[in-house]
Amino acid sequence: MSDSQHEIIVCQGTGCVSGGAEQLYSLLQKELAELNLSDSVQVKGTGCHGFCQRGPLVVVEPEGLFYSKVGPDDIPDIARSFLPDGRPVDRLFYYDSTIGRTLPCYHDIPFYYKQQRLVLRNCGHINPESIDDYIESGGYQAIHKAVFEMTPEQIIDEVKQSGLRGLGGAGFSAGQKWEACYVEEADQKYVICNADEGDPGAFQDRSVLEGDPHSVLEGMIIAAWAVGASQGYVYVRAEYPLAVRRLKIAITQARERGFLGKGILGSGFDFDIEIFQGAGAFVCGESTALVLSIEGKRGLPKLSPRPRTTQYGLWGKPTVLNNVKTLANIPLIINHGSSWFASRGTEHSKGTAIFSLTGNVVNSGLVEVPMGTRLRDIIFDIGGGIPNGRAFKAVQTGGPSGGCLPAELLNLPVDFDSLTEAGSMMGSGGMVVMDQDTCMVDVARYFLDFTRRESCGQCIPCRVGTKQMFDILDHICRGQGRPEDIDLLEELGKSIAETSLCALGQSAPNPVLTTIRYFRDEYEAHIKEGYCPAGVCFFYQ
Amino acid sequence: MEKVKLIIDDLALEVDEGTSVLAAALQNDIYIPHLCYHPALEGRGACRLCIVEIDGSLATACRVEVEPGMVVRTKSPEIDQAIRPVVELLIANHHITCRGCPSSGKCQLQKLMAQLRIDRRRVRRLRVPDEELPLDTSPPCFDYDPNKCVLCGICVQTCEDLHGTSSLYFLNRGNETRIAFYGDESRCASCMECIKRCPVGVLMPKQTRSTD
Repeated sequence: MSDSQHEIIVCQGTGCVSGGAEQLYSLLQKELAELNLSDSVQVKGTGCHGFCQRGPLVVVEPEGLFYSKVGPDDIPDIARSFLPDGRPVDRLFYYDSTIGRTLPCYHDIPFYYKQQRLVLRNCGHINPESIDDYIESGGYQAIHKAVFEMTPEQIIDEVKQSGLRGLGGAGFSAGQKWEACYVEEADQKYVICNADEGDPGAFQDRSVLEGDPHSVLEGMIIAAWAVGASQGYVYVRAEYPLAVRRLKIAITQARERGFLGKGILGSGFDFDIEIFQGAGAFVCGESTALVLSIEGKRGLPKLSPRPRTTQYGLWGKPTVLNNVKTLANIPLIINHGSSWFASRGTEHSKGTAIFSLTGNVVNSGLVEVPMGTRLRDIIFDIGGGIPNGRAFKAVQTGGPSGGCLPAELLNLPVDFDSLTEAGSMMGSGGMVVMDQDTCMVDVARYFLDFTRRESCGQCIPCRVGTKQMFDILDHICRGQGRPEDIDLLEELGKSIAETSLCALGQSAPNPVLTTIRYFRDEYEAHIKEGYCPAGVCFFYQ
Repeated sequence: MEKVKLIIDDLALEVDEGTSVLAAALQNDIYIPHLCYHPALEGRGACRLCIVEIDGSLATACRVEVEPGMVVRTKSPEIDQAIRPVVELLIANHHITCRGCPSSGKCQLQKLMAQLRIDRRRVRRLRVPDEELPLDTSPPCFDYDPNKCVLCGICVQTCEDLHGTSSLYFLNRGNETRIAFYGDESRCASCMECIKRCPVGVLMPKQTRSTD
C-alpha cells in the first residue's frame, strides 16, 4: 500500500466493543507506533457501522477496505499492511456466500450498497466524541440556517412539507406536532427526545446516539427554535451506558461551541439540554408515561380523551416529544429542503425506515432503506437470507407488539400503512427473522411474556388479559391446550385491543392474532394432534 | 347551573353541565358497567368497562362530559364483544367463588356479573391463578386481600382527594400490581373512607384493633 495519509476506522459501537474493539483500537495504535507509521496512519473510533454480525469491524480509508471479525492477532498484519511493501490482509475480507466471492471494499458489499443511509449518514464515519468531526461532515449548518435565515413558521412548514412521520412507532406527522406546540401560548415549552428504546432486539436508537449524538442534538435545537422551547430533555434508557456517555460528551461540546446555552450563536435564542435516564420500564416509552416519569411520578400512560402533550406536557407545559431517528432527520430536511426528503419513500410514508435486522438471518445488523422497500429485499438482498440452508418462515416487525408475517407477504412494501394493514406495525423498527425451526406458538408466548411483564397494571384488559393470554399459550406449548383455546385467544385478543387504555395494551395481542391468522395449523397441531411441528415445544405427560 | 339535554338509550335526559356521561346515566337509573368510578371522584377510566357508543364511536363514559344533543347507546353487540371478555377475565382472576366473602351481596363485581348475565361456562374456559396470595396485614388501618383486588384505584384516589397526599399507592407492575400502604400509622387519618368505598371489599377493617 502507498504511504499517503490513511485512516483506520475501528468500530466502537456496543456490538464491536463487546467483541473487544476497544482493545483492538489501543493495540493498533501501539503497533503503528512501533512501525513508525503513526504520522501517516490515523486510528479513529466511530459509532456503529451496522454490520454487527461481522464485528469487530475495521475499515481502512480512503480505499474503503473492509475487515471483518478482526481479532487481536490480526492487528500486527493490519499495521504492517501500511508499510511500503505492505499488502492488504485478504483473510479478513468479507466473503459473500451467495455470490461466492470475496469483497474487499465495503461499498461492494450488498449489505451496504443496497441501503440508503440518511439517519445513519455519519454512523461509522465520524468520531462520535468529536464535535469537529461532526462539523466537518456538514453538521450544525442547519442550525445556522434555521436560526438566521428561517422563521419558526418556515421551519414548521418545511418539516410538514417533507412528510416526515414520527419514527418512534405512531407515525404522526412531525410537522403537525411541532405546529400544535408552536401555536400554544406559554411562558415555558419543552422539547423531549424519546430514547427509551425498549423493544427486544431493537438497537437503532442506541446506535444513532452512540454513533452520531450531535445530529440528535441539532434536531432538538431546531425543534426548540421552531416551537419556542428553552429546555430540552433526552430520556434515555439507563441500560445504554455508552449512549449516555457519548451524549454527555456531545452536550458539553455543544455548550462550549455556543450551540447550546444562552444566546445560541449570538442570537437571542436560549436552549439547553439535560439527560434523564429511564429506570427500566418499557411503558415509559409511551409519551404520557415518559412525561410523568421525568416529573418523578409512576410511569402510567394517561387516559384518553386527554389534552395532547403538545398542549399539556411536561410540568403542564406545551411539549414536543420526538423519537431519536425523527430528530436526526431534521438537520437533513433543513439543509436539503423538504422536496429532497420527500423524493424518497412512498406516497404516505416519506424518507427512510431503519430496522434492527436480527434473528435467523445471515447479515444481522442495522439497516436503513427507503420507505416502501419490500420485506424480501431487506431480508434476502441486504440480510443475505437465512443461514444454514434453512427455509424462511416468518418475520416479526415492530417489536413485542408487532405481528409475525409469513412468506406469502415477503413482497409487502415496508411502510407505516402496509404493515398495519397486514396486522403488524412499523413500531420503533425491530425486525426479527425466523426460519423453519421456529415454533410460532412459542414465539407468540415469548412476546406475550414480555408484554405481560411490562404492562403498567393500570387497566384491566392489559393487566389481566396479557397474563391470561400468556397462560393459555404456555399451556398450549406444554401440550395442555384445549380445543376451544384458539377461538378464545382470538376473542380475548380483539377485546384487549379494543378496550386497553394505551398503545401497549392495544397492540399487545398482535403477535397472537397474526400467528393464528397466518400459522393456525401450528396451533392446531399442538392442541389437536399433540405435537410441535417445529420440534421446539416439549410436551410433558 | 346550566342544564344539558342529551339522549341515552332513546331516553331524553336533562343533566347538569359538566356531568360525565357515566354519571348522567347512573343518575337516571341507566346502568353502565363500571368498577373504578365513584361519584365523589374524577373518572379514572382504568377499568375500561364503561365503554359506550357516543355519537357513533366507542368511548369511556366516565371520561366524557355531556354535550347538548349527544346521542349515547349503552348496549350494542359491539360494546358487548369488547367488554364481556374483560369482565370474564376479571372474574377468572378474582378467585371465582363468592362463598364466604365478606362483601358478598354488596359487591360491585357481583352486580356487574348479574347485569351482564355472565355465563360461568364461558369463564371456565379461562385459566385461573394457581397461587393464593397471603392477606396483607401490615397496613396500620386495614387488612388487604390482593387475590380479590380489582385495582380500581378508588382507595388511592380517595386518600389523595381527602388528605392531599395518598398514603396508599400502587406497588409493582403488570399482574403483580398491588395496593400498598406507604409510611407508618401517622400517615393515616383513620377516616376509613378507603374501606367504605372499596367496590369489592378487599380492604377490610382490622380484625383486632388496638384498644388504647
